[in-house]
Amino acid sequence: MQPVTADFRKLQQFKPVFTVALYNTQVDVAGNHLSGLLLIKRMPDSSLRMLFSNEMGFKFFDFEFGADGKFKVHSVIKQMNRKAVLKTLKNDLALILMERMDISTAFARKNNGLLYHIFPQKKGYHYYITDSSGNELVRLERASGKKIIAETVMLNYINGIPDTIGISHKTFEFNIGLKRIER
Amino acid sequence: MRKIVTILVFLAAGFWANAQYAGFIPVKDMDKFKVAFALAAQKTNSIKSDFVQEKVLSMLSEKIISKGRFWFKKDNRVRMEYYHPYQYLMILNKDKVYVKDGQKENKISTRSNKMFQQINKIMVDCMQGTALNNTDFKTRVFENKNSSLVELVPVTKGLKELFKAITVTIDNKDFSVSVIEMQELSGDNTIIRFLNKNLNADIQDMLFFIK
Repeated sequence: MQPVTADFRKLQQFKPVFTVALYNTQVDVAGNHLSGLLLIKRMPDSSLRMLFSNEMGFKFFDFEFGADGKFKVHSVIKQMNRKAVLKTLKNDLALILMERMDISTAFARKNNGLLYHIFPQKKGYHYYITDSSGNELVRLERASGKKIIAETVMLNYINGIPDTIGISHKTFEFNIGLKRIER
Repeated sequence: MRKIVTILVFLAAGFWANAQYAGFIPVKDMDKFKVAFALAAQKTNSIKSDFVQEKVLSMLSEKIISKGRFWFKKDNRVRMEYYHPYQYLMILNKDKVYVKDGQKENKISTRSNKMFQQINKIMVDCMQGTALNNTDFKTRVFENKNSSLVELVPVTKGLKELFKAITVTIDNKDFSVSVIEMQELSGDNTIIRFLNKNLNADIQDMLFFIK
């Protein structure tokens, strides 16, 4: 990877503008398949709520990213209430929300014709990878210092909201697929 | 004096609405109701209906509304097919559950899945008229001119974690279920309304077939 300069402000065009969106959700984790609905809603206090239930209305979790970026678990079913699970989901969702992007510590790299916008986190890095012009979002990655943890795509933006989101973990089988539902 | 009476009436009305269900009064003759309910259920061998499901998320001031078709056939067979705004199919056949979402099929044995087992039981109990005998719940029954309302409050630990109460509204005309409302502890609830009910319609067994 070659050090380059980049205009980080350009990334703002890819930041999803979630007012309210409902996604058909498919989760495959360690041989188990789970499907349901993910509702993402921006609340009047600017916090963002993410609520996942199954198609029949049974709620799996209700998370909040506060206006200050703070993560709060409002509810979670017993089977998912494990530190590692919550941490993974929190980090996956934070990458998509594109809110932990401190330009003052960010740097850029070029590799195979792609531009890597790299944002150091408390632990590891968030990569927002675009084409060389910075006008097309190719993928997002969450990485430790040494390896990629999760790879994400956000596709087909309609009114600022991606129609399709895919999250794929590299260290164990855990894939999430979101497809927006027109209500 | 009149003022005091008015205040008392208001207080009583408020209390009434909280303790009971608006427009409903406790059923006078519980035994009579039980017999009539069981008798009507005995005569109902199948139900074909449309349904509208409303998931009310109180904290988020949001509602997720979905529509589908419903089939029930004795014994213990239910098919729910959601077609809008997403596709989802669930078949309960005795102690087996088959689920098909947009992409994948899943077979679940209800014996191994407590939640499905419970929901299965509640659903079938409601349709077969045995909901009043389910010892997992404390039951109260209310009525008005056109319908009866069965309130099921869980008494077992697992169910208590899932629901505050489940209410089932029954049409007095034919004792068929018109609304099931599942109230969660969080204040959210799920309401399923059954529309265009067709009792004892001819329903093919194939609809409940699980490979």
